[in-house]
Order: sequence, then structure tokens, then C-alpha cells
Amino acid sequence: MVSGIKYFPEYRYRVENLSIVVTTPFSYLFPFSPTGSHVEWCKQLIAATISSQISGPVPSDIANRENKNLPALRYGAQVIMSQNQVPLLPGETIQTTVKDVMYICPFSGLVNGTLTITDYKLYFTTVEKSVHIQESPFVLDVNLGVISRLETISVPNQGENTKGLELVCKDMRSPRFAYKTEESHPDVVELLAKHAFPLSHGLPLFAFLYKEQFPVDGWKVYDPTAEYRRQGLPNESWTISKMNSTYELCDTYPSILVIPTNITEEDIKRVAVFRAKHRIPVLSWIHPETQATIIRCSQPLVGPSDRRCKEDERFLQIIMDANAQSHKLTIFDARQSSVAVTNKAKDGGYESESFYPNVELNFLEIPNIHVMRESLRKMKDVVYPTIDEAHWHSAIDQTHWLEYIRLLLAGAAKVADKLESGKTSVVVHCSDGWDRTAQLTSLAMLMLDSHYRTLRGFQVLVEKEWISFGHKFAARVGHGDENHANSERSPLFIQFIDCVWQMTRQFPAAFEFNELFLITVLDHLYSCLFGTFLYNSEQERAAKEVQTTTVSLWSYINSQPEDFTNPFYVDYEHHVLYPLVSSRHLELWTGYYARWNPRMRPQVPVHQTLKELLFLRAELQRRVEELQRDATSHSLSSSSEHSPAHSTGTPLHTAV
Amino acid sequence: MLTGSKTTFKVRQMLPDIKERMLSQSGVNARSRDVFGLRCLPGECVLQRAVMVRKKLTAREGRGWVSGTLFCTHFRVAFLPQDSPKADDNADPVLLGDHDVALASIEKVVVVGPNRTKLVTPNSSLKFTPEELVLYCRDLRVICFLFDRLTPDAQVLEITYTIAKTYQPPKPGSVLSFQNAALGSVEMKQFLSNRRRNTHMNWFECAADWEQELERCGATGWRVSSVNDRFEMSTSLPRSIVVPQKVLDTELKKSFAHFNEGRIPRWCWRHPRGSDLLRMASFQNNIYHEKDDIRNLEMILFGCQSSLCVVVELDEELPSPADVQLAHSRLRALCLGDISTSVSVPDDKWLSTLESTRWLDYTRACLRKASEVACLLRGGHLTVALQEADDRDMSCVVSSLVQVMCDPHCRTQHGFQGLVQKEWVTAGHRFYTRINYHRDNDKEEAPVFLLFLDCVWQLLSQYPSRFQLTDDFLLALHDSIHLPLFSSFLANCQRERCKRSQNLGQSYTPVNGWRDMLHQDSSSDPSDPPLPSVWDWSLQYSKHRRDHFTQPVPPTPPLQPLLNGNLNTNPDTHRLTDTIPGSVFLLSRGSFSCPSNLLPWRSGSSGVYKKSHRRAPSSENVPGLERLLKAWALAELPHGLSATSGPQGPLDPYEPLLPLLMGPCMGLWRECYLRGALHAQAFSHPISANHPHPVERLAREVQQLKDKLAQVSSGANPNPPSKTSEPRRADTNLNQNTNNGTFLFPASKPQGAAMPRAPPPATSTNHLTSRGPPPAIAPPSRPGHKDNGGSNKHTFLFGHSSVAEARSDQRYYPAPSNAKLPKSNGSSIAS
Repeated sequence: MVSGIKYFPEYRYRVENLSIVVTTPFSYLFPFSPTGSHVEWCKQLIAATISSQISGPVPSDIANRENKNLPALRYGAQVIMSQNQVPLLPGETIQTTVKDVMYICPFSGLVNGTLTITDYKLYFTTVEKSVHIQESPFVLDVNLGVISRLETISVPNQGENTKGLELVCKDMRSPRFAYKTEESHPDVVELLAKHAFPLSHGLPLFAFLYKEQFPVDGWKVYDPTAEYRRQGLPNESWTISKMNSTYELCDTYPSILVIPTNITEEDIKRVAVFRAKHRIPVLSWIHPETQATIIRCSQPLVGPSDRRCKEDERFLQIIMDANAQSHKLTIFDARQSSVAVTNKAKDGGYESESFYPNVELNFLEIPNIHVMRESLRKMKDVVYPTIDEAHWHSAIDQTHWLEYIRLLLAGAAKVADKLESGKTSVVVHCSDGWDRTAQLTSLAMLMLDSHYRTLRGFQVLVEKEWISFGHKFAARVGHGDENHANSERSPLFIQFIDCVWQMTRQFPAAFEFNELFLITVLDHLYSCLFGTFLYNSEQERAAKEVQTTTVSLWSYINSQPEDFTNPFYVDYEHHVLYPLVSSRHLELWTGYYARWNPRMRPQVPVHQTLKELLFLRAELQRRVEELQRDATSHSLSSSSEHSPAHSTGTPLHTAV
Repeated sequence: MLTGSKTTFKVRQMLPDIKERMLSQSGVNARSRDVFGLRCLPGECVLQRAVMVRKKLTAREGRGWVSGTLFCTHFRVAFLPQDSPKADDNADPVLLGDHDVALASIEKVVVVGPNRTKLVTPNSSLKFTPEELVLYCRDLRVICFLFDRLTPDAQVLEITYTIAKTYQPPKPGSVLSFQNAALGSVEMKQFLSNRRRNTHMNWFECAADWEQELERCGATGWRVSSVNDRFEMSTSLPRSIVVPQKVLDTELKKSFAHFNEGRIPRWCWRHPRGSDLLRMASFQNNIYHEKDDIRNLEMILFGCQSSLCVVVELDEELPSPADVQLAHSRLRALCLGDISTSVSVPDDKWLSTLESTRWLDYTRACLRKASEVACLLRGGHLTVALQEADDRDMSCVVSSLVQVMCDPHCRTQHGFQGLVQKEWVTAGHRFYTRINYHRDNDKEEAPVFLLFLDCVWQLLSQYPSRFQLTDDFLLALHDSIHLPLFSSFLANCQRERCKRSQNLGQSYTPVNGWRDMLHQDSSSDPSDPPLPSVWDWSLQYSKHRRDHFTQPVPPTPPLQPLLNGNLNTNPDTHRLTDTIPGSVFLLSRGSFSCPSNLLPWRSGSSGVYKKSHRRAPSSENVPGLERLLKAWALAELPHGLSATSGPQGPLDPYEPLLPLLMGPCMGLWRECYLRGALHAQAFSHPISANHPHPVERLAREVQQLKDKLAQVSSGANPNPPSKTSEPRRADTNLNQNTNNGTFLFPASKPQGAAMPRAPPPATSTNHLTSRGPPPAIAPPSRPGHKDNGGSNKHTFLFGHSSVAEARSDQRYYPAPSNAKLPKSNGSSIAS
């Protein structure tokens, strides 16, 4: 708190070009709080980027209240402020500081300032107070993990020894800088490349250097046995197997798998040989009432000669039999049918309905990872840096991004409907069973099981279906890798989160988490600050001791759940959510894709309003409890006849 | 057929004399109730009914299906859910129930049978038994009824035929019989003529109304002139017009000829910084300008601001009515699909097709123009005159949008209704022609007013906490347009409305008494129904639905909007005000200019103003709006504001709400246009009406517990029940809010909140504070919270309950420390 001026944590930072367009209301704010935890800081940084944030000063007593309530303030470590006012994370070190750098803002022209490069981020700030004294400094903060590639650009009219640099980022922006090359300076590009792509330069990822302590341990969020126990497993048909505890059966699967009880280890090994990458059919989710199951696996290695595998056929028969409600089994092949056919030539293929009795095979016609990558690339052209006002809608149509979102949601809804209405077990696979399969199973589970729509439950869902089942995060995102053209990269997880966002739009009260949570997850998908999304498989993570040497993203999230909580949340426990998948009901998530454009920021701080609501709810709940206590005690003391009447006043499930 | 079917009859056979039958029954069975519980209007009779029908609910209603009975009367298709509560027989008649649709709103009737879909016309006969009946309405609703297997086939067929035959695809004459069906009975006429006018809003019908507006705006230098009292000067202008004080009526009279349709520059609104908004039609060029005329014209145009006038040309950049009509019909087709064939635009072309309707482009154009004008007005001390060729379409849109943006009063329900009266109804927007109720004037049809509503919705969706009215209100207004029952929309100008009321004699109030002019033959028939105003909402909507028209929490004294720089927000008024007094600029295509022929009398040979004209800045010196962007962004806040209240000071409530206009920011009004999208699925939605929101549930529980406490301690405490009423009010407000889907609280608090937190008054909240650190102090417990501009969210929510609690607390919580020891509480209460 500085000399009577109220402390407004949300607005200490002004990200991107905001400072030019925004007028004075923020201006008197002290630019950086000398104290405050890192968590707080980190949150603000994200908060500042989220569209709904930047809009007006926070009423002071809200800000104060916030400070009081935040566990982060009590537990979080202090942000270290370096001499030149660069906030540093615990474990972060400054690599170099370059003065007289120009940020070429696509929205408001050139901004002069100082560039600091640490091993985690690039931090650009205007040193001197700008033309107007009231202006707070302009800050641009880009974590290095988000950088996809560095490109030198030409900067006309700025003198001969001026170099231009463009940081092409994975999160839909490309900030550009111009700087003078002098001998005293270390080469900015080289230094940036070294820390942006540490793996290519023999350096560790920043997650291993990060030393923050959180009150909550996010690595404990997902315990597979506990999760399966919640689903009612094991039961007479399904068993929790430790066959893969050394990752010998399948190196991309988790160590704990749920498989049918009456199948021998020998048979499973034969099935593994018949399935691509040894990813055998295993249970992902079981319907609590009908016992219908979601099974995931990879494609069968049918090959051009239509190979068969008796054990695999029997395996699917057993899966079908485990569900007494239905005498059918539905296989959803996420791929386009034509692709599935051509895969036969590459030794892959699909289950032939003639060899698998009572099996129904459906193709969901979802294009592959390369198509998705291209679609998002087009999207970036549409949203950054400028938006073509007149042709916005047709430009979005041409990226086909919403079309693919629609296919995914429709596919997942089909899976969910088959389970819920058809009471039939479902097998989902694509080629390898780690991309589209993960998207479909996790979305279907989100529709079917309200547990996954809670803040914790969603974390479990991501840990389970994506991280433990070997979605190749390292390859798809390219953490710390300079090979930006790698064709393995693809925004599949973003697509999934986008689908989740679409569902939150259609069912605003059914999800416990809010938009900030989804954006935070996506931001840390790239940031390499947390260990959660690193590496391709559970085996690799175990080998790198990720859990003991890095911090989990969920530690950060769960240390201040109130920030990520949707105040409208109502636990619709036994509701299955079927989103409307017509493109009339889908929207482009501009709050994520177009958030760098300052003109896109909404005018009313919705996020703040939501926090207010959360606070109000807590307050009301506290009153209810208080009154209940008093009423109970009163009725006890006065007479016993009133006591049973209190059943209506049971406390609500409110996780504030 | 079931018992009690006396009033039903075979429509196919009886059809030729349905009309006579209806008319003859008028007034016979007043206030009747159908045996199935439908409450009929006086004179209304049920033509057909079908039982065991399910109605598909929209997302707003909670989705899913509700079963009940379907009725067709000669006025409406009614649906009565099974478990709906019995209506009070003595209540005022409501024209339409929550599930009803007026016959005149229906555009097409489609039935879905096994594997086929058929458009039902009055003459068609069905070869299959429909399973589903779909009513496509003019207001873009699609109402879908599902027949059960238990519905008798005969009923299904009969009601389908009956609806198809009675909904009357509009033709001249049918509107009148529709009006008669609804309002023609003696009881209804009596009821309507006894209706009191809503006195909370300004109707802008007489000179006093305008005086009131002048006073509200603090507009001095203007007066209300009755020069057009008999519509002799201009037939389309209202009786009262506001003109500069210094212009005499005799001088004024000479000016009418210089403007198209005699629509001279008239005052509309004054910005608090002293700028006036005027609107006028285009100049009549082929007229000789006498010297006196010129002086008068200049005086009228410049109003009280002798220095500067900006003429805003509207025809050039804004869509023409024909454009609006084309765009809207494309939008309709896109949103509803091809009605008869159920073919709709493929999913991957949806956005492109939406773009090609150009509807959003037009919305954006109107908002942009209005934003420019709003920013101009903010500059202060100038006159902005909106000029459109006939001053009856786009200038209605722009002038009213400007006021919605700048004037918080216009964002309340009553203020908005007054605004529509001022800028549309009495200003002479040709509602009757533009809506084309009789389908006899297709060339002139253009839903300009709907375009305006869409613009307001865009503002509302970008500034949800700055409006007191809600999108439910806009939707209700949108739907009412399509109902040919309201005097507001059934005329083109005040003169036509007055003419009708004169014909009806003195027994009807002027507002209510106007009727379709085209039916000259019957215009003198005093039995024609008096038409109500659209603002008489209780005729159309139940109390429950009307409660949703306004936000439960009034908007706060607003924050300064974020200036995103996509608009000019501060035209270089310094430069403009530096110019010579009497300068006139033209704002067109985002830049100022002063073309020599702007004012026809100055370009001619009159030469009076030649000298000053030559010294006026040439057009290349006047900077374009976009280029002024940065100038504003870096400019200081206006003086006086920052001085009084510090940098974060209370922001000017008149600071315009400038909308974001980029592609992604312009939304489609889904709740309106996509209400009946063919692709909507019928899965039940988890958010259903009988599943209240947690905050609401909490509030309810608080109430329950309080009641219980009161009950328990009633022996000791004689007067606790007095506290129940107020908290309950909070409860219903919460309820409204969750249903609105809008946010409960305004974005932030008024400035008063910036003051240090007051220590909680000892009386009411001591027990709260004693419980360890509370998350915060509830502001309402702050003494005098009502003084800080009110509308503080806590004030509202806790206000009532804490008032009540303050009383009870004193009794129930003897000492702070006791709160932790509930047992001792009990004893203290008992004492």
C-alpha cells in the first residue's frame, strides 16, 4: 500500500499496447507492488491478458477484500523484484537487459523501452514515464515457452545498425521488436533462442528451475485407483491391472489399466501385438447404472491382407458381454473412412464387421492433425494483427476451425448418446489412439459425468485421458524445441479446450470452472513453467522425475480456486449435457484467439462481476450456516418439536 | 369428442360463416372460461382444441417439452400446460398467455408427418395424420407442438385445419377483423377506454410533454411551438415542435417551405455539455431565398449555439429502407431455413451466409454513425443537425441511438419508451407503411425499427450493467411490432393518429383511439375497437414476464467506458471552435468538410455570408476523424471531472457508451433470431425453470431460516413477522436476474466506494465481525449507504435483509462473543 493510494492488483500491469488507447483511470496506480506473492503476480499477468479484465479500476474495498481472502498471500512466496523493476519468479534469473529497444506495436505504433530477457520470459517495459506523467509504464511480458520461432525482419527508416526481430508465438500473436546492434550487446536473437528452445541447446526446461512453493500439491490431484474407485471399479467384470507397471506391455500407456476380469495375460499380450503401438482396448469410463463403458485403444493392425486376431475379437466380445444391457458394441473410428482404408496399406486398418460379430463400426470423419494445424494457422492470419471488419465471418468460415469443432462435439455427443440412450458400450479409436481418441473420450466423459465438470474433476479428466494415456504433449506442442516446422505439432489440446469452452457457453451453470481457468490451462500448456504438460508419456515423466522436480499447474490453480470458479455453477449431478452442435450455436472463442487485439476487450469487466458474485455467495452461505446453527441450538433449548423441520435448510454445495 | 365440446364445431363445414359467427358471439359469453381451463377474452370463443399435446420449450423457457391442451380461438392459438395454476377470473384480461401466439403473428403453418413435411394452406387437405405442428411466426418465433399418440386423430386434423384457415394470411381487411376479435367486444372496449395511461413516461404528445423534456435536459433558449397544431405546416410533423426561442412563429412559418415535407430543423435533445441535437429533412433547393428567410433559417439551424453547426448527412453512409428490407428478409431466411422444405444453409457456410445478409454491416453502420454524433456532441457547445432526405427513417435510428448512448435515462424502460415516442412515434416514422401490416405495400416495407432494436441490443450486450432495461424488454417490443393491435404502430404520424381519435369521438382517450385509416367505410363506426398503446404491457404480458423487463439492480453511476480507439472519440473541437462564428461543417464519411453548397442559401447569390464563408477552413485542413484518434487518447479528461474527484473520479454519466464495432464484436441476436432454428435439438437443458439458481436458493434459505427463527421465538418476540416482506423482495429480484441471464451487479461501484471502509456499525454486524476475519464488511451496514448514489450492489442485496436483520439481531445476538456459543443464544432469546 503506497501512501494512501489503494492497491489494485489487477491493474498494475498493462499488457501489450493498452497504454496508448486507454486513458487515465489506471494512471495513478503504483506500477508495481513492492510486495505480493508470485502467485498473485502470476495471476494478474494472466488476468491482464484475459479479455474481460481490462476495463476499469477495481473498487477499492473489493481489492482489499481480495487480498484478505487469498490463500496465496498467506502461503505464496514473495516476488523478487530485480533492480530494474522486473518481477522475477523464484528460480528465475536475468540473462540480459537491452536498452533502447523498440516494440513495434501493431495497434499503436512504436514504443521505446528496455527489454529484459530472463531464462523464463521476455519482459519489455517503457523506462521513462511516457509523455503523460499519469501514464503507467507499458509492459509486454512474453514467456519464452510460447515462442514458436524467431525471425529477423527488416526495419525501414531506423538506421543501418537496427535489427528487427519477430517472435512468432504459439498463442496467436507475433510481437515485433527493433533494436540497435552494438558490440557491447550480446546477440539478442542468440540469447533468446537459447532460452526459448532450451532443449535444442542442451539446457533444462524452466519448469525444472522453478522454485515456487504452493500450499496445495497438484500432483496429488490424480490418483488413478481413487478415480476408478469413484467409478465403482473394480467390479465383477472389470479389474484394475498392474500389468503395465513397468511400461513393458505398452510404453505410452499409464501403469494402471482397467481391463476385463476374465482374460488372461497371454491373450492381452497377443492383443497388444495386434493393436498399433500396443495400445490395447482399456476402459476409460463406466456408466454407473447401465455398466456401459467407454473403451479406448488404437487401430487394429489389419494390414492389406485383412489379418485377424482371435484374441482381439474375443476381447471385444468380453467387453460387450460385460454390459448386460446391450448385445451390441459400437466402435467409433474418429478418422475419415477413406483414410482408414488407406491405412490398411500401411499395416493399419479398422475392425471388419464380419469378423467381429454384433459390432457396429462408425466413422466420425474427423481430419488428421495436419489439417488442424493448418486450420489454426489460417485462424491466426484472421485474428492477428488486424481484423478485417467487413469479411470477418467469411474469413472465419474459411479457416474451417469451427467446422472441426463441430465435428468433434458431434462425435463426442454421438458417443455419449450411445452410452446414455443406447446403453451400449463404445470403443473409440483413431490411428494411434492418443489424439482424436483423447479428444472424443474426454469430451464424451465431460458430457456424461458431472464430476468432470467440477474444477478438480476436470483436472482429473485432463490428467487421465490426456496426460496419463500418452497424448504426445511434447511432440504436439514442441516444448523447448526449435524445430518449428515439425509436422508432429498440432493444436489438438487447444481444440479440446475450445470444445469445452463451447459447452460452457451453452450450459453456463453446469461447469464449476470459468473462462479464466481454460485460458490459464492453455497458457501453461506452452509456458514450460509447470511440469504438468511436459513429455509424451507417463513413462518419460517417471524417468525425468517430473513429479518431484517440477511444480504442477494444479498446485497453482488449486491454491486459489476462487479465481477460477464459476459463480453460476450448479451441480447438475445426473444430467447428461448434449451441446447443440450446429454451427449456428457455435461461436469463435475470441476471448482466447483474439485477445491480443486491444480493440477486442469488452467494456464491462465481467470477470470482476463474477468474483463479486462468488463473494456474495460465500457471504450468504455463511449467514445460512450461522442462522442454522443458531436455529438448531435454539430449537434444542426450547423444545424438540422444531428440530426435524430443518431438513430444508441443508447447506448447499458451494465451493467458494 | 370429449364432453364439453359445445363450443367446438367442424370448421370445414362451418367455415364460410366463421366470421359472422365470431362477430355474433362477441360479448355474449363475456369472461368465459373454456371447460379445459383456458381463460377467454370477452367475446372470444374456442373454435377447436386438442388434448395431450406437448409444446417444445425454447432455451429461454428451459428447453424440453411441456404437455397440455392446445386451443384455437378466432384470435389466437393458445396452449395451456397441464399443471398451470387457475387464473383469477377477476383479473384484468391479458391478450396472450405465456404460451400463446396471436393468429396475426403466424406466417406459416407446417405439419410434420411420418417422413414428410407439408405446408398447410387454407385450402390444403392432409393425407396423413400430423405428428408435429410447427407455427412459423413473423416475429421469428417458431412454435412447435407435438401430438401424442393419445391425441385423437380427429382433433389433430381439425385443429390443424382450423388454424390454417383462421390465421388469415394478411390481406386488406383481415387486420380489422383480427383487431375486432381481440378488442372488439363491449367489455374490452370499456376496459380499454378506462385504462389509465402510464404516467411514468413522457408521451411527447402535447406541448407540456415537450416542456418537461426541455426541463429535464436543461435546455434553455428553446421553446415549444404550436405552429403545427393543426398539421397545416407539415402533415408528418407532430403538433408540438421545439425551436429556438428567438424565432417567432410568424418567422417560423416561412421556413417550412424550405424543407422536404416541411420538416424543418427541430430540437431533439441536449447533451449536458451544452450541445444540441437537431434533426431535419433535406433542403428544398428550387426555392428563392429571401433575405429574411435566410436569417430565419440560420437562426433555426444554429439554435442557441451561435458559433458552430455540424450537419450530419445520413443518406449516404447508412442503408436505405430497401437495403434494410432486403437484409432482414435474407436474415429471416437464414435463421428460419426454408420453411416449407426444412432445407437450411449448410453448417460450413453459416457465417459466410450471415455476412452476406449484410444485416450486421447495417447495424454497424448505424452504430458507427451514432457514435460519431455522440462524440461530436460531447465536444460541447455546438449544434448537430441530422439530415436525411425525408427525415423519417435513419434519422430516427441515429437520433435515438445517440440518446441511448449518451443519456442514462434512455437506458431505463420508461426512458426508452419515452424515447421511442419522441423519436419514432410522434416524429413520424412511418410504422404503418414500414411494417406493412396489410401486405399491400411491399415496396415500402422495411423493418427500420427492428434494425434500431438490434443496435440497442448490441449496446446492451456490450454494456450489460449500464442498462436498466433488459433484452427481454427488447424482445417483447420486437414481437409486439408484428401484432397489428397497437395505436403506436398503426399509423405513420401523429396526424393520422389524431384523425382516428377524432372519429371515435370523445369517449376514447387520444392515445388509444386511432384506427386503420384505410377503411374509410367504417372509420366513422364508433364500434371500432379503441387501440391500446404498445406500452400498456400488462395487456400482453403477465406480471411475471413484465418483471423481467428491467434489471433488478439499477445501473450504477457508470464508469468511464474503455476507449478502444476504433471510433473517433474526440473530433478536433478546438480547431472547430476556433473557427468563425456561423461556420457550418458537414460530417460525412468520417471527416469534416465544408462544401460550398452545404446550405443552399449560402451558395447562391445572396452573398450575405460570403465573407465569412471564404474565411472558413478549407476541407483539406479539417482533419479526418480517424486521424484524431490519438489526440483524444492522450487528451486529458474534461476539467471539472478530474478536479472534483481525483483521477478515478466519478465518471461522467453522460460519457457515451461507444460500442466496439469490429467483426468479432458485433453479435447476432441469437435469442431473437435463432429462437426457432430448425437445428435446435430438444434435449432437456439442465437449467430449467424449476431449478433455481444457487444464489437464489441461498437467499430463499436465508429467508426460510429467518422465518423459522421468528416462529421459534415468537413467544418472546411479538413483532418479528414484520421483517418478512422486504427480504422476499430481494428474493424475487434475484429470481429475475438469473432468468435474465444478465449479471446481478453492475460492473463496479460508484465512487463513494473508494472511501475507506467504514467500521461496521455496532448494532447489526457485531456478531459477524466476531467470527474471525470475515471476507469483507458488507457495505450496506455502512451508515448512510443510500447517499452514495445508491445502486450499490450490496446496498441492494443486503440492504433489505440487513435492515430486517438489524432488528432481529439486536434480539437474537445478545453479545458478539455469544455467537460462537450458540447454546447460550437460545437462552438469551428465551429470555
